[in-house]
Amino acid sequence: MGSYILRRILASLLILLAASFLMFALVTLSGDPLAEFTGSNAPDKARLIQERIETLNLDRPFLVQYFLWLGGAIGCLIPGMSCDLGVNLSNQPVTSLIVDAFPTTLQLVLAATILAIVLGISIGIISAIRQYTAFDYSITFLAFLFYSLPIFWVAVLLKEFGAIRINDWLAEPAVTLPTAIVIAGFSALFFSAVVGGSRKQRLLVGLGAAVGAVLIFVGLVASGWFSNPGMGPGVVTIGAAAAAVGATLLFTNLENRRVLFIALGTAAAGVITAYAALPLLEDPSWLTLFGLGALVTAIGVGLGWIFGDIDRPAAIRAAVLTSFGVGLLVFMDRTVSSFAAYSAEVNGRPVATIGSKTPNFNGTFWEVTLDTATHLVLPTLAIMLISFAGYSRYSRASMLEVLNADYVRTARAKGLTERTVVLRHAFRNAMIPLATLAAIDFGAVISGAIITETVFGWKGMGVLFTSAVQRDDAYQIMGVFMVTAIAVLLFNLIADISYAILDPRIRLS
Amino acid sequence: MTMRESIEPDMTPLGPLGSEGPEGPEREFTIKARTQGQMVRRRFIRHRGAAIGFTALVIVIILAYTSIGFWKIPGWWYLGYTKTNPIVNGGAPTLDVLPAFIDGDGFMIGPHPFGQDQIGRDYFALTMRGTQISLMVAFVIGILSTFIGAVAGAISGYYGGQADNVIMRFTDLLLTIPILTIAAVVGNATGNLGPFFLAVVLSLLIWTSLARLVRGEFLSLREKEYVEAARAMGASSPRIIFRHMLPNAIGTIIVSATLTIAVAILLEAALSFLGFGIRSPDTSLGLLISTYQTAFSTRPWLFWWPGLFIVIIALSVNFIGDGLRDAFDPKQNRVRA
Amino acid sequence: MSEEILSVNDLSVVFPTEDGMVEAVRGVSYSLSERDVLAIVGESGSGKSVAAMALMGLLPKYAQITGDVRYRGEDVLAMSPKRSRALRGQNIAMIFQDPMTAMNPVYTVGDQLAEAYRSHHRVERKVALARAVEMLDRVGIPQAKDRARSYPHEFSGGMRQRAMIAMAIINSPDIIIADEPTTALDVTVQAQILETLIEVKDSVNAAVILITHDLGVVAGMAHRVLVMYAGRGVERADVEDIYRRPRMPYTAGLLGSIPALDSAGGKLHPITGAPPSLINLPPGCPFSTRCPLVTDRCLTEEPELAATDLPHHQVACHNWEKVAETPDPTLLFRTKAVDA
Repeated sequence: MGSYILRRILASLLILLAASFLMFALVTLSGDPLAEFTGSNAPDKARLIQERIETLNLDRPFLVQYFLWLGGAIGCLIPGMSCDLGVNLSNQPVTSLIVDAFPTTLQLVLAATILAIVLGISIGIISAIRQYTAFDYSITFLAFLFYSLPIFWVAVLLKEFGAIRINDWLAEPAVTLPTAIVIAGFSALFFSAVVGGSRKQRLLVGLGAAVGAVLIFVGLVASGWFSNPGMGPGVVTIGAAAAAVGATLLFTNLENRRVLFIALGTAAAGVITAYAALPLLEDPSWLTLFGLGALVTAIGVGLGWIFGDIDRPAAIRAAVLTSFGVGLLVFMDRTVSSFAAYSAEVNGRPVATIGSKTPNFNGTFWEVTLDTATHLVLPTLAIMLISFAGYSRYSRASMLEVLNADYVRTARAKGLTERTVVLRHAFRNAMIPLATLAAIDFGAVISGAIITETVFGWKGMGVLFTSAVQRDDAYQIMGVFMVTAIAVLLFNLIADISYAILDPRIRLS
Repeated sequence: MTMRESIEPDMTPLGPLGSEGPEGPEREFTIKARTQGQMVRRRFIRHRGAAIGFTALVIVIILAYTSIGFWKIPGWWYLGYTKTNPIVNGGAPTLDVLPAFIDGDGFMIGPHPFGQDQIGRDYFALTMRGTQISLMVAFVIGILSTFIGAVAGAISGYYGGQADNVIMRFTDLLLTIPILTIAAVVGNATGNLGPFFLAVVLSLLIWTSLARLVRGEFLSLREKEYVEAARAMGASSPRIIFRHMLPNAIGTIIVSATLTIAVAILLEAALSFLGFGIRSPDTSLGLLISTYQTAFSTRPWLFWWPGLFIVIIALSVNFIGDGLRDAFDPKQNRVRA
Repeated sequence: MSEEILSVNDLSVVFPTEDGMVEAVRGVSYSLSERDVLAIVGESGSGKSVAAMALMGLLPKYAQITGDVRYRGEDVLAMSPKRSRALRGQNIAMIFQDPMTAMNPVYTVGDQLAEAYRSHHRVERKVALARAVEMLDRVGIPQAKDRARSYPHEFSGGMRQRAMIAMAIINSPDIIIADEPTTALDVTVQAQILETLIEVKDSVNAAVILITHDLGVVAGMAHRVLVMYAGRGVERADVEDIYRRPRMPYTAGLLGSIPALDSAGGKLHPITGAPPSLINLPPGCPFSTRCPLVTDRCLTEEPELAATDLPHHQVACHNWEKVAETPDPTLLFRTKAVDA
């Protein structure tokens, strides 16, 4: 394994070297960094030109320019050496520009990738299991639609409808006919697709969901919930119990009372811990949160260990998943509770359209979280939609193929439950080819980030890149390019390694 | 189609029953032997999404090229896309598709069905012009990159060795660079050379994934008995490649070409949106959206129409690609359920 | 006579496809007693595997299954999914044709065996693993304890099939359905695997349904034989009768197509033609297009499985008497082979 990774890293470095040369040639030969002076009538024009020629080594041959740049760039990859990616046309060091921009983009790209993977794969798999149902057809159509959407168009639409109009509405929440129709329609479609079954069954479920959703919506508006939202202990407790039941279902079945009670016990421990530690949660740090989470997880694992008996592994897994679910619920509850305060701080326009955070914003931990979340939500959604399509289609196809495999038939013939057949035998194998997709998709996500950042005015790598291309700013382009290339190569490496971990037939040596 | 004799008989009258998975048995039952071409056509037509997509695409193409005309051929639409006209109806679209019993005035096209921009240009004509350019760019990229990819992949897979090594390392290289970044640099430098040149340049960047697919097909085809037989009988390499192997990879190639067109439509739009693609005075759907994105609150139609056309074209092409993939795949599940 | 544990009556399976309804199995009947070995013989596409999968509940949902299948008196086709699941693996186990693909590549062999045991017995993993090792040992896998930790791809084809047999007997089932268990294996390994199968079947007192196209395999193992053609049982008899006194021209043709060792260098004698499509079957006997004894009646009326001159011997042929009169029915196809 170790030698394989080492060899892969070496190969990646060679590719990186070749790519950097290709790109450097392209960038320096295609643009003229002195172009902006041709129309200029600044008095010290000659001096400026001379200065630029000197800083950018424009008087030296192309190869010398490349090796000078490479000499500085190599330092970035070797710890202890100074990292120098040159300066841009405004004489700012590219290294520091990237250090500032990188975390912003990373946040966006990671959030979108993780969400797309989790949602895309789970929906693709459900779609495969329910092949040829209304749910399958709707997901297939949606995936095709998302594939075909220009991301910048979606981004502008999201800005208009997901932010501006939502903010307008939140300022004066009211039940209008269009909102009611939209809500009724969405919940009807969603629930009838999820439940499945015969046409009549779906119709009834859809109707029930539509009426229920509108009633809840009207109730929420009437009680002023939207100006001061929250979940409250009741919803958190119910959600925690649901998480316990879900975790049990995932790892065994509900008839396994032992596991169910252990999961419910963990959920109870989580809710009690959260409310007992309420003062701690006023303005916590990440450390406090992780500490509390670890405590609940430990209680769950302990319960599973002591009472698990022969189902100990399943019980422990269910307990861990439950504590994670409860943690998430409490986190959401606390965040949502600070919504009113946050909304007031940002002049009642909570969903942001510009930038990655409100400038000079100070608040509690929850308000800062909310600030990040409201900035992140729309660009993430825009990037995610396109990746989601890929993951759901691919995992559907992969799952369908695996479900037809002989070993899945063997698993059924053994008398395993359908849940075990699907999750343990089919799902695990369907994941293997998806590792490759994740690597390919990552490049697309970066492209998506470049476009989305320009629409939402994030000061990240994307804007750094587009502004550099507009100015023929060679070193700035190269800086962005090197970071993305390294990220793509790194992702490929991770994909290959996870491929080998998932598939024992592949030996890394 | 002349591919019949080189296609392996994958449809034996009755295969080993039950040696397939639970989904398997029925796929072995095929009654009449059909040629590959007939089978593909039949399955494609039965794919509802593909049939609708195909119809929609044909309509869009006809609409775009006949309405305002192209090259020196005049079209039937009475306004050009450069001319400014007096503003009618505040510039809003005059198209009304709602029948009389809903809004009382019935179906109407009006003088400016898609509305007008701030300076009074007819937005229908502009959108059609953008569609023409976007379609042209996408199809050139689709065809050219498919050609490059197929040839490179065929050489790589058939000859192997040094040629394979060089081509594959080069594709590795291109796959490392997010396509939009390199396209932006190249597009920025060459954009003033016109849409056709841009299409050619982009083709040179996106042929790699098809090359890999074709190479994979060729690697497995190379081991097939009938290829060995052809070689044993002394057929020349080009003859084996074009007559015996390429027809068997044709499904992969056609499907990939279709999907490349969809990718190309979106790539061109994204580039033009960022300002590195098509330049004014030429226009494309992406450039139209870019130009009018800030007009959303005042003249939303300027934003809606080009976006709608991009989505229609990309969606149609994607569905056609899906239908073709199903049609070319002999293993596809043929159950009606 | 020992107790009957499985009876299959008039079992039919239909698959709806784009080209029409495929009648894969058309009214098959047989019964199985404790420790019995029944061979179901037929060429590819005769419906023999589909019939077996139907009673295991392994066919896709859209398959339309009719008929009456009883396991110890219990209606198998009407079972709740839960009961059906309990039946699979525990009472009826199955061994598949291709051991290369029948095991999940990502789990160890021991894990997969233990899983089969744990899905029917509430025991700890350790206990199930010990049981798995014991079974691997019983089917003749050397160093079973170590080999249990191997992945399927680290096993040879023969070893994998042994492991599949071990998996089948881990719950001591009443019935083992072996679907072409040796077809995918080297000839040298085939005999060993069959031997192992017979040994372990005796050790757990199971009956066996052996599905095969190879009459050579049948001879050494089976007590009773059901010959299937185009989804139907066409001859049912004791194994001796099938070999010495076939009454169906098709069976005779199958016997005649076995290459004989003593006629080295001689010709092969296949049954010419191919089985009919199972979609929109023409009226009459499905074998009529290939039968040397075909008469006008064969073209219009499909024969039912009916009694013959021999006890426990049924055949679906209008002209079985003619076959019975032929001194060596296996020669029936020789003349035909010449003009083809």
